[in-house]
Amino acid sequence: MNVESMNAAQSEPYGALYLHIPFCASRCAYCDFTTEAVAPDDPRIDTYLDGLIREVRDVAREGLLSAVRSVYIGGGSPSFLGSRRLVQLVYTLALSIDLTGLEFTVEANPEQITDSLVRDLFALGVNRFSLGVQSFQDADLRALGRIHDAARARGAITAIRERCDNLSIDLICGIAGQTMASWLASLEAAETFDLPHISIYPLTVEEGTPFAHAAKQGRLVSLDEDTQALFMEQAAEHLRQQGYHRYEVASYAKPGSECRHNSAYWTGVSYLGLGRGAAGMRQSATGRERLMGGKVVETLTPAQAITEDLMLGMRMSEGIAREQLTRADIILPGAYEVFSELIDLGLVEADEKRYRPTARGWLLGNELYGRIWALAGVSGSRSQ
Amino acid sequence: MTDPSLIRNFSIIAHIDHGKSTLADRVLQLTHTIAERDMVEQVLDSMDIERERGITIKSQAVRVMYDARDGQTYQLNLIDTPGHVDFTYEVSRSLAACEGAVLVVDATQGVEAQTVANALMAMNAGLEIIPVINKIDLPAADIERVRHEIEEGLAIPADEAILVSGKTGEGVEELLEAIVQRIPLPSGAADQPLAALIFDSYFDAYRGVVALVRIIDGTLTTGQKIRFMATDVATQVEEVGVRRPANTPVDNLMVGEVGYLITGLKDPADVKVGDTVTLERGGVSEPLPGYREVKPMVYTGIFPLEGDQYTDLRDALDKLRLNDPALVYEPETSHALGFGFRVGFLGLLHMEVVKERLEREFSLDLLATAPSVEYHVFLTNGEMLSIHSPQDMPDPVSIEHIEEPYLKATILIPPDYVGAVMDLSIARRGVFDTMQYLSTTTVEMRWDIPLSELIMDYFDQLKSRTKGYASLDYEFSDYRFSQLVRLDILLSGKPVDALSFIVHRDKAYSMGNTLSIRLKEIIPRQLFEVPIQAAVGGRVLARTTVKARRKDVLAKCYGGDITRKRKLLEKQKAGKKRMKNIGSVEVPQEAFMAILKVDE
Repeated sequence: MNVESMNAAQSEPYGALYLHIPFCASRCAYCDFTTEAVAPDDPRIDTYLDGLIREVRDVAREGLLSAVRSVYIGGGSPSFLGSRRLVQLVYTLALSIDLTGLEFTVEANPEQITDSLVRDLFALGVNRFSLGVQSFQDADLRALGRIHDAARARGAITAIRERCDNLSIDLICGIAGQTMASWLASLEAAETFDLPHISIYPLTVEEGTPFAHAAKQGRLVSLDEDTQALFMEQAAEHLRQQGYHRYEVASYAKPGSECRHNSAYWTGVSYLGLGRGAAGMRQSATGRERLMGGKVVETLTPAQAITEDLMLGMRMSEGIAREQLTRADIILPGAYEVFSELIDLGLVEADEKRYRPTARGWLLGNELYGRIWALAGVSGSRSQ
Repeated sequence: MTDPSLIRNFSIIAHIDHGKSTLADRVLQLTHTIAERDMVEQVLDSMDIERERGITIKSQAVRVMYDARDGQTYQLNLIDTPGHVDFTYEVSRSLAACEGAVLVVDATQGVEAQTVANALMAMNAGLEIIPVINKIDLPAADIERVRHEIEEGLAIPADEAILVSGKTGEGVEELLEAIVQRIPLPSGAADQPLAALIFDSYFDAYRGVVALVRIIDGTLTTGQKIRFMATDVATQVEEVGVRRPANTPVDNLMVGEVGYLITGLKDPADVKVGDTVTLERGGVSEPLPGYREVKPMVYTGIFPLEGDQYTDLRDALDKLRLNDPALVYEPETSHALGFGFRVGFLGLLHMEVVKERLEREFSLDLLATAPSVEYHVFLTNGEMLSIHSPQDMPDPVSIEHIEEPYLKATILIPPDYVGAVMDLSIARRGVFDTMQYLSTTTVEMRWDIPLSELIMDYFDQLKSRTKGYASLDYEFSDYRFSQLVRLDILLSGKPVDALSFIVHRDKAYSMGNTLSIRLKEIIPRQLFEVPIQAAVGGRVLARTTVKARRKDVLAKCYGGDITRKRKLLEKQKAGKKRMKNIGSVEVPQEAFMAILKVDE
C-alpha cells in the first residue's frame, strides 16, 4: 500500500475516508483541482481505478477503516466514470466497510446523471449526492465553461431525488455578467426543489486556470468585491428565509442535513485520502501530518495543529467552545488577546459558551483566519 | 623623472550615453594597458551599478603609455569623470587636473545639454578641447549635422573634430595623436613647493583613504610630511603610485603627473575633493583655487522597514560615506515611520544610487520618503532656520518668510517642442530667461526654476513631453522668496508626518486634490473605511475615502484545500509586512513617493 505508516500505530483512528477520481469530461475554466480531461474509454481510467480498489482493500485489511463515519468520492468528476466502473468501486467499499449509519457521498455532474447510475449507487449504500449545478442560468453556465445547461441540471436533480432525498447542490455567485436578478432567479430555482443542502461559492479566479489567463489579458471582468459581498449576503438572507441554517461559510443546510464528512475537515477529525489528488490527515500526541497521494506533505507541531483547529472552527457557525480557547491559550500564549481583538474588529462575537464568527467575519474570512493562524508563529512575529 | 613635455593630462567628457566609457576602453586596449583577455566592458566603471546603468559615478585616473608616430613614448593620464549633473563639482575638479578634454558627441544624437555644459566647464577651466564625433559606425550617424552643431552651439571649429567609433576602434589612434599634438604639456614648476590637487578619493579597507591627485607644482615623495590645507590635517606620505589601472607604487610623483596618494588617514572627512596637498613645512601659503564644500541639494528620509534594522542602516551609511564623502545624514524620527535618517544627496541620481546600494550591498529593506530641498525659513524673531524636512517646518505664525533654492536650468530641444517645454516649465513655476537656436534643429532654453519643482518628476515629464529629445542641465542659482506652505496628509483623521510636503501656496489645492486621489488608489481597502484628507494648517483642502473591505474569503476549504489556504494566508501576511502600519492603517511603500508621480 502507498500510505506511509510510520506513525500509523500511534495515530488516532480515521473518522472519514475520501476517494479521489482525477478525471473529467472537460476542464471548467475556473477549476484548479487535480484532474485531467480524458476520453471515457481512456485505458488510464481503468488502470487508475484498479489501483484505487486495491488500496481500499489494503487499508481495510489493516483495519484503518474501522472508525470511519463518512465516505466521500470526489473529483474531478466521479460520475464521469460511468455506472460500471463507479459501481465496482462502491461495491468494494461496501465489502470493506460496514456502511450502516455512515454518510456516503458521491460528487456528480448533471450531464452524467442517469436513472440507472443513481439506482445502482443507491442500492450499494450511497446515501448522499453532491451535484455541481453552479447556476440555473444558461448564460452563467456558458461563462463558467460548463457543458450542462439549466434544464439538464433540473433533470439531474429530479432523477436523484427519485431515490435519494439527501442531495446538495453547488451554486456560484460573482460570475461575469451575473446580475442580482439572475442570481436571485438561480436561488429561487433551487428553492422549488426544497433541497436539504446548498453550497454557495463566490467565484474565485485561481492561478493557472483559463480564467486567470483571461483575467490577465483583460478578457475576463470579475465582479468587484462589493457586488460579490452583496450577492453572498442576499443568498444568506434568502436561504435563511427558506429555513436553511448556515453552518459553515459556504454551507447551508436544513436542520439535521449538515454534511458530516465536510464537518470532519473543520473539526480536527483524522481523515484518510486515497487516490492521486486525495488529501489525508492523521494525528497523534506528537503532532499532525497532512498527506497527499499517500505522501506526507506537511507536518504540524501540536501548537500549529491547535491553531489550525481554531481557524477551521471559526469557519463554522457554531465556532469554538470557550474551553477550546482556554486549552489553546496554554500552548499559544496570546490566543485570548487575538480573540478579543477579533471581537473589537467585529469579526467574532462571544457568549458565555462559545466564540462565533459574525456575518462580517465570514465575508472577511481571510482576515479572521489569517489573524488566528498568525498565532502559530509560522511567519515570524505575531500579528499585533 | 618623466620630462613634462612627454606628459599629457586629459579628461573625456560627454553627455550621458554618448559612449565615453567605451571609448576609454579602446584607449586602454590600443595602448596595451590591459591585456586582451582581461578586457571587460566599461573597465573604469567598477561598481555594478555603474555597469548596469551605463553611468560613471566615481572619477578614475589611469596612466597609459603611448608610442606616438614621432617616435616618442608619451605618458597619458586619462581622467574619467562622472557624466551626470549631480556630480558637477567633482567633474570641475577633475577638469582642473587636466590641460585638455576630449569632448565626445554621439553622431546619432548630436549636441545635448550636458555636451554644452561640459564643454563650457572645460572652456572655463582653460582646457584645450578636442571634439570627437563617436559612433560613426551606426547607420543613423549624421556627421555633417553634428559638425554643424558643434560649430554653431559650442563655437568649436568643426574641422578639428575627429571621427571615431568606440565600438570598432576606428579613429582611436588619430585621437591619441591629436591628444599628443594638441593638448599642452603641463605647466608647473618642479622647483616650487609641493601643490597637489585632490580630484577624487576613495576608501580602501586596508589602506584607508586613497586620494587621486594631480601634481601642479613640486614633487610628492614617500615619507614626506604633508598637510591638507582646507581640512588642516597634517600627515605623512605612506605611498604614492600610479594606476595602470591597478595601483602601482612609485617613489614619487613629479610635477605634471597624476597618481594616487595613501597617508593612512582613515576618515574620509579629512581628505576632500578640491583640497590642496602641500608640505607641512615650507609649503605653499595659498591653496589652489576652486575648492568648495560640497553641499547636498536633495534630502530624503530613509527608514528601515523593520525597526530592528536601524543600527544596520546606520552602519551601512557610515560605510558608504567612506567612499562617498558627499553623503550626509542625521538621525530623524517620524511618528509614522519610527527611527531613521534624513539623508542629503547631490541630486536625484545620487539618491537613487545610494538607496540601491544600501539595499543591495547591505541587504536592507528601506522606505524612502519624498525628496525635499533645503528651505531657508526666516522667523519673526530674526532667526534663520535651514529646514531639510517638511516635518521640521515651524508654526506658520512664527514665520516671517521662506526662501527656496532656484536653479539655472538649460534645456536643449528640437524647435517643435518649445511650446511643450514652456507649458511644463511655467506649470513648475519656472521663470523664462533666454532662448537661442544652436542650429536649425536644436534650441537652447534657459529657465530659472525652483529645485523643489525640478525634483518632482520634472525630468521624466520633460522627456515624455518631448518624445525623449530634451536634454537638461542645471546649476544652483540662488535662494528666492516663495509663498510656501506645508501640505499635510491625514489618514483616518491623524496627520502622517512622513507624507507631509512643502508646496507653493497657489498649488496647494490642486496638489492636495490629486494626491488624495492617488493615495486612494495606492492604499488598499482595509477592515475599516480610511478617510484621506489633504490639509494646510488644519484647513482641509481635499478628501477621499478608501472604502472598507467587504469580502475577502476563499469559500472552499475541504481536505486538500486546507494546506493551500494556510499558505495563502501566510503569503498575504508577508505582503502586509511590506506595508507600513500607521496607526491602524496599512500603507504601501509607494504611498510615500506618490507625490512624485502626481500627473499633471
